Amino acid sequence: MKNFTYVRANSIEDAVSRATSDRQAMFIAGGTNLVDRLKVFLDEPSQLVDVSRLEMKQIERTNTGSLKIGALVTNTALANHIEVRRNYPLLSRAVLAGASQQIRNMATVGGNLMQRTRCPYYYDTAFPCNKRQQNTGCPATTGMNRTHAILGASESCVATNPSDMSVALAAIDAVVEVEGVQGKREIPLIDFHRLPGNNPERDTNLEPGELITAVILPPLSFSQSGVYLKLRDRASYAFALVSVATALEVAGDKIKTARVALGGVAHKPWRAMEAEEFLIGKAANKSNFEQAAEIALQDAQPLAHNGFKVELSKRAIRRALAVSAQGGGLA
Amino acid sequence: MNQVIGKSVNRKDGRAKVTGEATYGAEHQIQGLVHGYLVTATIAKGSIRTIDTQKAEATPGVIAVFTHKNPPKVFKPTNNWMTSKIYEARLPLSDNTIHYAGQIVGLVVADTFERARDAAQQIQIEYETQPVEVNAQQANYQKAKSMFGEDMEYVAGEFETGDFSAVDTATVEATYTTEVEIHAPMEPHALVAHWENNDSVTIYEPTQWVKGSQRTYAELVGLPPERVRIVSPYIGGGFGCKAFPWPHGILCVTAAKEIKRPLKVVVSRRQMTANTGHRSHTEQTIRLAANKEGKLSAIEHTAKSCTSPVDVFTEPCTGITPVMYTTPNMKLKQELAVLNVGTPTFMRAPGENPGMFALESAMDELAWELNIDPIELRLRNETKEHQRKKLPFSAKHFAECLTTGAEKFGWSDRQMQPRSQQQGDLLVGWGMASATFPALRSSVEAKVRLLDDGTAHVLTAGNDMGTGAYTVIAMTAAETLGLPVENIRVELGDSMLPNGGLAGGSQMTASLTPAVLAACQSVLETAQAQNAQEAFAKLRESGRAAYEATASSAPGEEGKKFAFNSWGAHFCEVTVDEEIARLRITRWVSVMNIGRVLNSKTAASQIRGGVIMGIGQALMEECHLDPTTGYPVVYDLATYHFPAHADIPRIEVSFVGEPDLDFNPMGVRGCGEIGITGVAAAVTNAVYHATGKRIRSLPITPDKLL
Repeated sequence: MKNFTYVRANSIEDAVSRATSDRQAMFIAGGTNLVDRLKVFLDEPSQLVDVSRLEMKQIERTNTGSLKIGALVTNTALANHIEVRRNYPLLSRAVLAGASQQIRNMATVGGNLMQRTRCPYYYDTAFPCNKRQQNTGCPATTGMNRTHAILGASESCVATNPSDMSVALAAIDAVVEVEGVQGKREIPLIDFHRLPGNNPERDTNLEPGELITAVILPPLSFSQSGVYLKLRDRASYAFALVSVATALEVAGDKIKTARVALGGVAHKPWRAMEAEEFLIGKAANKSNFEQAAEIALQDAQPLAHNGFKVELSKRAIRRALAVSAQGGGLA
Repeated sequence: MNQVIGKSVNRKDGRAKVTGEATYGAEHQIQGLVHGYLVTATIAKGSIRTIDTQKAEATPGVIAVFTHKNPPKVFKPTNNWMTSKIYEARLPLSDNTIHYAGQIVGLVVADTFERARDAAQQIQIEYETQPVEVNAQQANYQKAKSMFGEDMEYVAGEFETGDFSAVDTATVEATYTTEVEIHAPMEPHALVAHWENNDSVTIYEPTQWVKGSQRTYAELVGLPPERVRIVSPYIGGGFGCKAFPWPHGILCVTAAKEIKRPLKVVVSRRQMTANTGHRSHTEQTIRLAANKEGKLSAIEHTAKSCTSPVDVFTEPCTGITPVMYTTPNMKLKQELAVLNVGTPTFMRAPGENPGMFALESAMDELAWELNIDPIELRLRNETKEHQRKKLPFSAKHFAECLTTGAEKFGWSDRQMQPRSQQQGDLLVGWGMASATFPALRSSVEAKVRLLDDGTAHVLTAGNDMGTGAYTVIAMTAAETLGLPVENIRVELGDSMLPNGGLAGGSQMTASLTPAVLAACQSVLETAQAQNAQEAFAKLRESGRAAYEATASSAPGEEGKKFAFNSWGAHFCEVTVDEEIARLRITRWVSVMNIGRVLNSKTAASQIRGGVIMGIGQALMEECHLDPTTGYPVVYDLATYHFPAHADIPRIEVSFVGEPDLDFNPMGVRGCGEIGITGVAAAVTNAVYHATGKRIRSLPITPDKLL
């Protein structure tokens, strides 16, 4: 473990400037994932820039009717916030489906977006891993890959993004606000994380030195139909084998808008755009949901041990859409 | 008399544990303590070609680096089950050969834990790698050798053809598998070794066998036992993996001598997935034959398990078969294969647990085939004697467990068809299975002291690994002396105290409490008093400080007259959301027959703990190995799943039967392990009732329900 310096950033500009001038610097807030990674030598930063005391802890309504979540809002505060519970119930449920109460109390919204895969091959330096070090190989492709990706993976990486929150944010069309030395910019959540391609070491499209400052939730008139369904190996405190976030806007007997996002299946939260498009203008019924599920998984490429995820994903989509069609709630 | 025994009494050690006052092995603070970090192999088979420690040695704070090139001095122990025992016959760092991934290949000692860990990461190793064998399905199985003197093959009656179809209405033949389960107690493996003057050592290590550990370490370091002291007042869960020294313990104690500093070694969770014991993968084939009334005519039980290249441990699955159901024809066989894995070991009900999963699943399959209620099928086949030992069981109330459990659960309302019970969109299934575990006890001693301050002390080198031993020992003394439980001080877990035996095989309570009873009676005799108050009065009159007596208790001739087992039955309800493969256990009833129940609270807690661990085995526990390197691909308690609160329903526990006074003077049989036996079968039997799908391969993860 390389020694690192620890500094408390006194402003966003200060934090960004430190991380821009030192490419080996890393931001730390809740530390619930980063500290674990440091202990097992996955990250060897030159300095940790502590951003946890900065003023990004508010949840506020913007004048466009969006809800702006400060990057340092804890997962617990986000899930319990009255506006989030009322207007984005699927987000609240997704956050509560993740981790444990103790971890959620520490973990921040920005940190949740930045958490890295729990692929066991990534997690132990005894194994080679393209995500840790380019061109060293991916033992997961030929090893035990029951929990790995079925969509959008590459030969160099079959890891999955572990976040529940991000799946709900993808379905909500959330936007990530980031700040770098060039100033602020906004990245749609579904473009925030990357597919692995030949650069699995990069999880996100953040530029060096950029800091997440907020996540913006646009108004969603049909958010009450939101559903977050997480299927896993134990009833709590386990990463998703497959998770689904859905919402439906139904006008008359026709679907006007559909949102379908998947977790546990890809290197990023996976929006099933083609399935959504298929549903528009269709009746909200079982057979259309079945077809939408087929479309969502038509490009799936399972590995030796995770073929079940294809069928499980289809069923989860069908169920979540059916519950959304009935007005949302627990699935 | 009889004011305390049988009541619900809070744990004597509960407050110390929840306030952090209880000091566990590696928490002992010693002046000048330094830290060791283990270096482990990243291949599973081959040898070390080169190992470069220069960089690590030059790292700030590093005191020493041990590898196979400069192992600390160690003596070969006798290593049998009676006097001394180590978990892995190969001594650590004894050569450059690698037998399994995660094998210890070095120890780095530094002034802080972080510096030791950092330096360990700097060690460069080049391996000669050979192809590994880690696939239990493709392993080469041979007849297993006896571990405790009993042949691993057994045939009774006629098995020439193995064909019983001519005389029998129903036959079941099925193969059941269980996955590798790793030991993952809350307290990891961790110890501190403190040498004084090169000729005596104190070892602070959680151990289920204080005196055995003392003798074993004494042999390993070449000292008489009295120069080795083991301190183990608290154990954060043992389950079978903390009975003997593991390689890391041997390395810590021997390295501490060489560096002449007190040394602490903590095994990380990641390392514990590979080198501190697991329950082997098992594959069992059961054949049952029965007539139309359900009377069994034949049971054949074949079990395969795996061991490591460096020791032999057979998961003895077939031990339960002769005790459960009576049959004129019985055939048992155990096979063993060697894989490139760490050494498997005892894990809560070793053998009984996977064995009961297979047998109780097969009995359920037979019940469905014959259309007989599974409780009725078991009642019709109950055996009054141990069919291998040819001895009658003492104080057996198995039938009462079944009938009482059925009543408490409401079994008579069960619909006799799979998929016939629903709750909204959920399928509901009810399942049951039997439980059993042998009742064991060993030779132990306890010392009791009556002091002039009105308290009594009980001292013995037994231990309490969370089971409630402190409390039942205090209760036994309180009852015998006529004192409140609060006035009894119990000291355990120190090798300076009288031999307290082994906390394993569910025998600590059955071994110790008779000795405590005898020592209490003896101290009253010494004082010539009817009870403690009279003795205290005499102390005050005479000005004496204390009365003291030591007594022992050991098994005698009773083992020639009776076979001793505990019995039980589990009933459970599951719901299955079939479309999304979501299984939940919603109700649980366990009825146990364990002789006298000393503390109804901790006894029930032991059973609940067993049920919870069994639910883990049924639903989620599995340690996958990478097929190329043999390294486990679970690495912490987030990726190695065992039950969280949300997985566990209310577990209703009750007890039936009377004290088993043929077994020991307290009439008590242990209850640490029986709770887990049969649990997985109760779950899979309920899943069959709910869905019509028979799961023969654990754990029942969602993919198996699609």
